[in-house]
Amino acid sequence: MDFARRAILGQIAKLTAGAALVPLASLSFSPSAHASPINSQPARREGDASKRYGMIIDLRQCIGCQACTVSCHIENEAPMGSFRTIVSQYEVSNKSTGDMATMVLPRLCNHCENPPCVPVCPVQATFQRKDGIVVVDNEACVGCAYCVQACPYDARFINKETQTADKCTFCAHRLEANLLPACVESCVGGARIIGDMRDPNSQISKMIAQHRSELMVLKPEQGTLPQVYYLGMDERFLSRPQAEPALWDVRDIDGKEIGYEFLDH
Amino acid sequence: MNSSIIEILTPRYELAWYPWAVQYFFLIAISYSALLLSLPGTIGRGQFAQRWQPMARLALLITLTCTLVAPVALLADLHQPMRFWHFYANATSTSWMSIGSILLPLYLFSVLGYVWLAWRPALLQARQGHGFAAGVARLLSAGDWQVRRSVLTIVALTATVFAAGIMLYTGAEIAIIKARPLWHTNWLPVMFVTTGMVAAAGLVLVLNRFMSPAREGRSEINRQGLKVILVAMLVSAFVAAAWLLSGLSGHSESVAAALESVQANSDWRLSAIWALLAGVILFAFAAIALKARTQSAAISRWVWLVGILALHVGWAFRWMVLMEVQTVAKNTAGYYQLVVELGSYGLMGIIGTFGLWLAVLLLVDLFIPWQGQAHQRPHQSLAAEAQHG
Ligand code: SF4
Ligand code: SF4
Ligand code: SF4
Repeated sequence: MDFARRAILGQIAKLTAGAALVPLASLSFSPSAHASPINSQPARREGDASKRYGMIIDLRQCIGCQACTVSCHIENEAPMGSFRTIVSQYEVSNKSTGDMATMVLPRLCNHCENPPCVPVCPVQATFQRKDGIVVVDNEACVGCAYCVQACPYDARFINKETQTADKCTFCAHRLEANLLPACVESCVGGARIIGDMRDPNSQISKMIAQHRSELMVLKPEQGTLPQVYYLGMDERFLSRPQAEPALWDVRDIDGKEIGYEFLDH
Repeated sequence: MNSSIIEILTPRYELAWYPWAVQYFFLIAISYSALLLSLPGTIGRGQFAQRWQPMARLALLITLTCTLVAPVALLADLHQPMRFWHFYANATSTSWMSIGSILLPLYLFSVLGYVWLAWRPALLQARQGHGFAAGVARLLSAGDWQVRRSVLTIVALTATVFAAGIMLYTGAEIAIIKARPLWHTNWLPVMFVTTGMVAAAGLVLVLNRFMSPAREGRSEINRQGLKVILVAMLVSAFVAAAWLLSGLSGHSESVAAALESVQANSDWRLSAIWALLAGVILFAFAAIALKARTQSAAISRWVWLVGILALHVGWAFRWMVLMEVQTVAKNTAGYYQLVVELGSYGLMGIIGTFGLWLAVLLLVDLFIPWQGQAHQRPHQSLAAEAQHG
């Protein structure tokens, strides 16, 4: 039964990734919001409407070194213990053969095409730019954390220093200066590919064309249409993995606990 | 698949909503439920209305005090409380929270108007006296003009309409969040209302023990409060059963998520058992007390404990829903720890909210003759007491 469930999930994942990709081919008429009844998307604003940023994470290249985690942390000055991106690590063992394998899974905001975090914001501090990037105006944010609840990917947190919502911005400030995001720049294996999916000649567009049927997104059943695509993904990790939780206790240099130790182990 | 997976590394995610949120949801639910309980005795007519008048006095007191304190808790749950005016500068029709921010002041002012009009006859009477209380009454009654009863009725009904808005928005705000399957069910808003009614009736029983004037209707209030608890608990049980059924028939992921959590986490297991027990005990005690009322007057001395249990059920339901559910990791394996810290975001916040409510209650009790006109229709009241006592 478990197997069947996974198999179905896998199907959905691929299909949904496909469905998410279809409109990209004909993106000249952009999906701007019309009337906005409750929980439909408010109009996008700011940003360059001729672009649509997305990311491919090529898991075959990722070695789980956390260079992205660290460089993002430094670039974006997230407070200790909070992360805009993190590489989840799993140990998978085959019960009959005893073989072990490691699964690494970089996570960040998916800059969803249908982001549930945007319509819930009561002051429109969280909004989606015309280039698809979802950002937070932290001068406007009231810190209600409604968006944190609404994101299915735990991609948001309340920044303890600014007391406002914080998340990955695809390093919009760097993109605007023609730089790559910190995590992409620092990636040892070249596993993170960011680019304009409306430009047919961009590396990401070419990779999407080449791998269309293999690309997967996280939690496709949520209908968020994530725009971070995974290549070389294992279906068991699409949603909350059926895993034993971690037994880790991460401390900072003063010995203060900043990581997590799970109960119930 | 013949494999096992261990999650090796994951960051700690702090819960984004603090216990303040529980306090807000608790107080506002008591507020609108007490408003409903006050209606028959305040704007009703005839025999029936008369029987609910003593209850209405307590219910008005409860709705006023809870309505005043609830927004404070809500404000405190914002990480940027000083920016609350952004809600009004950037109202957003797609967000239930934004809609709530517009409804809440409308509700607050309509409740203030309603309670004020309901208390005004007593204030007018208190004007005649001497001393400080009479001075306050002169100030609060704002002149000795009379209003027609229809005005009170209209304001009461307006407040009721806004109360319905509050019920809708507080429920919908949580239920629309698809990212948390446990919240994403249409039964949740209904359950908020029914358990709110349980808590409000519980508070009526408690205040009836400690604040009601001894002169009239005490046992009648107890009886009515117990009945409300019984009915609201029955409806809650029915709603819970419907929720469970919708899950077992595959129509709600919410149930599947709940069962999974109960299976995987010992905290959840304990909470589930406790919730079931508390519900059953409350129902049984309320039923016993209601039956016993006819035989023994001494029981009215401990009925307030049933009220406390009812308050606990209403509060604990919100704690489970709002706090425990936040501990379920959305993306990774396992559960986050729910640590209630001592500071103002934790325990002090919880105690502080109740302290503030108590202070408001005592202030109102001190300065406002909420108990109504003691000398009005003494014969009828005594007769009613004799009949039921
Ligand atoms: S991943 Fe989360 S925060 Fe990012 S756009 Fe999607 S819902 Fe919003
Ligand atoms: S925390 Fe800030 S960005 Fe998030 S919903 Fe609230 S106001 Fe909007
Ligand atoms: S794009 Fe920038 S903000 Fe987003 S994960 Fe990479 S470094 Fe962090």
